[in-house]
Amino acid sequence: MTDTLLAIVHMAIFPGGFFALALGFLYKALDRRVEARLQRRIGPPLTQPWLDAAKLLTKETLIPKTACRSAFLLAPVFGFTGMAVCAAFIPVPGVYSGLFNMGDLLVIFYLLPIPAMALMLGGSASSSPFGALGFSREMLLMLAYETPLLMILLAVAMLVGKGLGAESSGAEFSLLKIVAWQQENGSLGFNPAMIPALLAYLIFLPGTMGMAPFDVAEAETELLEGPLLEYGGPLLALFTVTSAFKTFVVLGLGVALFFPGVLGSWWPVNLVWFVLKCLALMLLSLTLVKSACGRLRIDQAFRFYVTVPTALALCSLVLVWLL
Amino acid sequence: MSLDTTLKKLSVRSPWLFRINAGSCNGCDVELATTACIPRYDVERFGCRYCGSPRHADVVLITGPVTTRVRDRVLRVWEEIPDPKVTVAVGICPISGGVFREGYSIEGPLDRFLPVDVNVPGCPPRPQAILEAVVLARSIWLKKLGFE
Repeated sequence: MTDTLLAIVHMAIFPGGFFALALGFLYKALDRRVEARLQRRIGPPLTQPWLDAAKLLTKETLIPKTACRSAFLLAPVFGFTGMAVCAAFIPVPGVYSGLFNMGDLLVIFYLLPIPAMALMLGGSASSSPFGALGFSREMLLMLAYETPLLMILLAVAMLVGKGLGAESSGAEFSLLKIVAWQQENGSLGFNPAMIPALLAYLIFLPGTMGMAPFDVAEAETELLEGPLLEYGGPLLALFTVTSAFKTFVVLGLGVALFFPGVLGSWWPVNLVWFVLKCLALMLLSLTLVKSACGRLRIDQAFRFYVTVPTALALCSLVLVWLL
Repeated sequence: MSLDTTLKKLSVRSPWLFRINAGSCNGCDVELATTACIPRYDVERFGCRYCGSPRHADVVLITGPVTTRVRDRVLRVWEEIPDPKVTVAVGICPISGGVFREGYSIEGPLDRFLPVDVNVPGCPPRPQAILEAVVLARSIWLKKLGFE
């Protein structure tokens, strides 16, 4: 009973639910703000994502006549639910150690593509040709960036499994144990064998977040936002909330996999440290890249993902296996 | 103050812009693009964002004198924008036809077909004028929501 109650609190308030949403929105605002500063502009206020969401809630919802109504309405809910659950699995080192301690890395791996699938579902249900194009691009990109992600997770799991030795059976898929092992034996981000995997993860981030140069599925100048084209009002707000959750999830996962170090044992310091580490990860892999690059074509993006990050992740995997 | 009122009052601080080119010579479009992008005249600081889809738009900026070929498309795209929306005519062309006035292919001015809320004259208008129009559009939007 208390376990269930605790799980609900973790999903609704911390670290999933409200906390993840607030942090995701903060990162989205900072991303726009820093990008504006890099272009020597002022940029929007830090409350902008909240204002956008408030605005979208007051707008009317239009559903295209030719759209598949149920799928069109369900797709954003589907994506939102997946990410809201996933956010509860992200450990905050020194504060919160994950929802349960067995194989949660695999659960996260299965939950992560859900927003992309929701976009694909919504795009194809909207009956717009732009939505269909966005659907095919999103799927192609997803196939390309999920492979390196799986290899990165495997490399981490194998390294920690080897480190734990007899306690685990080969690979360790519990984030709790991965974080604890790193806190004792040094962060994986500083391990020479894992540096290629870290780079691959940094390259994976803009792809999964659909940000430039990999925003091919939602390209607003050629596809008019692709799958999101027909969405407006509260349904679009749900998509932005999902995206905020996803920002929290992928950045938090990056911190847990590569830099889960803690400062002392007092939890507020660790919480701030976690927020700062996520921010650094975002600025490095999303904001800087986004403001420096144009958009790639889908074939270029696909070729890039199946070669560079895949090769990097494979490199780490082989190094871990050999050493 | 109820939640609905609060949300509505907050909503005008997030005007998403959508551009429609109704047969413009591109001068005003370039002006709109530079107004958004260049450091000195940053519209993003008002919470604006250029969006690709008419479904996401709140403030629609229309340039050009409304030519015969483009008229029905402009009206159709304008219809796609969810209410409440604010229409801004950018440049002298949608207001009076400008240099194209009384041309054989010109159907304008724009207010023959749509209710225009803000006019921004100029050929092309100065960036400051466009920014002022966006700020004005916010107060008109607030009025449309029923607040003074």
